[in-house]
Amino acid sequence: MNKPVEFPRHTKGKRPSFFSDPDLDQMLTFLVELTTEVSVLRDRLDTVEHLLDTKGTISRADIEAFVPEGELAEIRQAARRALVNRVFRMHGTRD
Amino acid sequence: MASEQQQAGVPSVEDCYEPNHDERSRQSFVGVFRDFTKRNMRGELERLYREEMEPAIAARGEQVPETGREIEALMENVPYYRFYSSLRYNSQEMMYLAAMDPIERVAGEMNVRGKAIAEARPTGGTLELNADVALPRYTTALDVHLAPGSFHAEYTEDDLSQAALLAYGSSIGLGANVHRAGDLGGVGRSIGHWLTQKFPDFRPRRILDIGTQSGKNLFGYIDSYPDIAAYGVDVSAPTLRFGHAKAEKLGYKVHFSQQDAENLSFPDGYFDVIVSSFFFHEVPIKVTQNILAECRRLLAPGGVMAHMELPSHSHCDAYQNFYWDWDTKYNNEPFYEKFRSQDFNELMTKAGFPAADCFTTTVPNYETTNLDEYSKYLTGELETPMHGLGGWFVFGATDQPSPY
Repeated sequence: MNKPVEFPRHTKGKRPSFFSDPDLDQMLTFLVELTTEVSVLRDRLDTVEHLLDTKGTISRADIEAFVPEGELAEIRQAARRALVNRVFRMHGTRD
Repeated sequence: MASEQQQAGVPSVEDCYEPNHDERSRQSFVGVFRDFTKRNMRGELERLYREEMEPAIAARGEQVPETGREIEALMENVPYYRFYSSLRYNSQEMMYLAAMDPIERVAGEMNVRGKAIAEARPTGGTLELNADVALPRYTTALDVHLAPGSFHAEYTEDDLSQAALLAYGSSIGLGANVHRAGDLGGVGRSIGHWLTQKFPDFRPRRILDIGTQSGKNLFGYIDSYPDIAAYGVDVSAPTLRFGHAKAEKLGYKVHFSQQDAENLSFPDGYFDVIVSSFFFHEVPIKVTQNILAECRRLLAPGGVMAHMELPSHSHCDAYQNFYWDWDTKYNNEPFYEKFRSQDFNELMTKAGFPAADCFTTTVPNYETTNLDEYSKYLTGELETPMHGLGGWFVFGATDQPSPY
């Protein structure tokens, strides 16, 4: 039996620090990851709402198997962009 | 195009890759987030520099920056730049992280299928691995592009999972990029089409792709020249395994071999076309020089060498150089800036190409160009968009005349 593949979760090479305090680099990573999980959770909720609208019932299997297509996929993509624009609102820019 | 010619009965290494509901969501978010850093934030940073910082320097009567490095030194004190860099760096890490769990679940199955395809080789393509080929230090010292395992890591027997990580990780990153979306060898398709138009009488017999990784660029050249014999070389075994399995499934006959491009096994003058894509900026200049000398040795009379690369410093203004060279320090590509500082024509003449044969050009991106107007790009009537935004920068050499 071959060994299972386990990728390292860290990159070889020194991770740069972009801020005066390297703890800020770490905090920003926490923030980005947390925002990602909010988006994932929002999609899951949207799947539940969609299944209730179209089918009237939900099950874990139905949620896992659900793949958004067409207009719904576009709506979700727009929602992700809006989430990023709100969370990463930079001071003093024109965007 | 390629998907229409899937070989029936050939197992696919790819269709066992099935991210679950939340993994797909995470990947989609990372694609959007990365696009936000590489498009929205990139655009705002450029506006900040061109419309505010540079005019303010000029208004004070001071010399405005003339190099990318001078701009970088100014930027280090600008909060927007620090957040842009940090978020962009995070997004790069995350695109690989978001692909790992679903690949790990099926890596064993992928490897079994890859091995079966390599043995069956329905199109007659070949896979020649050579464990004696030493991995050059420039590929192993750092994880290039921040991809854990870089180009070459192997975790088990017959392993191609690292190539899957590179392919699926970067497709997450390109997901929201209109110029690269659905990229299945778009560079090869672009240069392949350019060759057919620029040199209408050219009938190349063999093509070599250097640093081919999974060989996807060769697919585009094969579509342009269906009778061409295609060869791809790389030092990384996992990418060659993955590439061979994918090529056989898609019906492309490609000969993959594990070789160091500084010292190739082919006879002199064996190839009519020699190409690479985003390759040279990953290797030291001395190695670039040696590889170009190999290209000179291998290119047949009347052949065309065409390497797609980042434009050199001399083709860009100071701000563009600042933008591109970011990757040198922050995307683990230590030779990137040094490569871009070179005179590409000089690199080629040093390798033995006659100066009159050498060229640099920007080739229209096949995916985003109106092909009905293609000849206008060749005559210069239409200007090809810059590298990365609808065009691909190419340097190369040929002794073949072109009607354009």
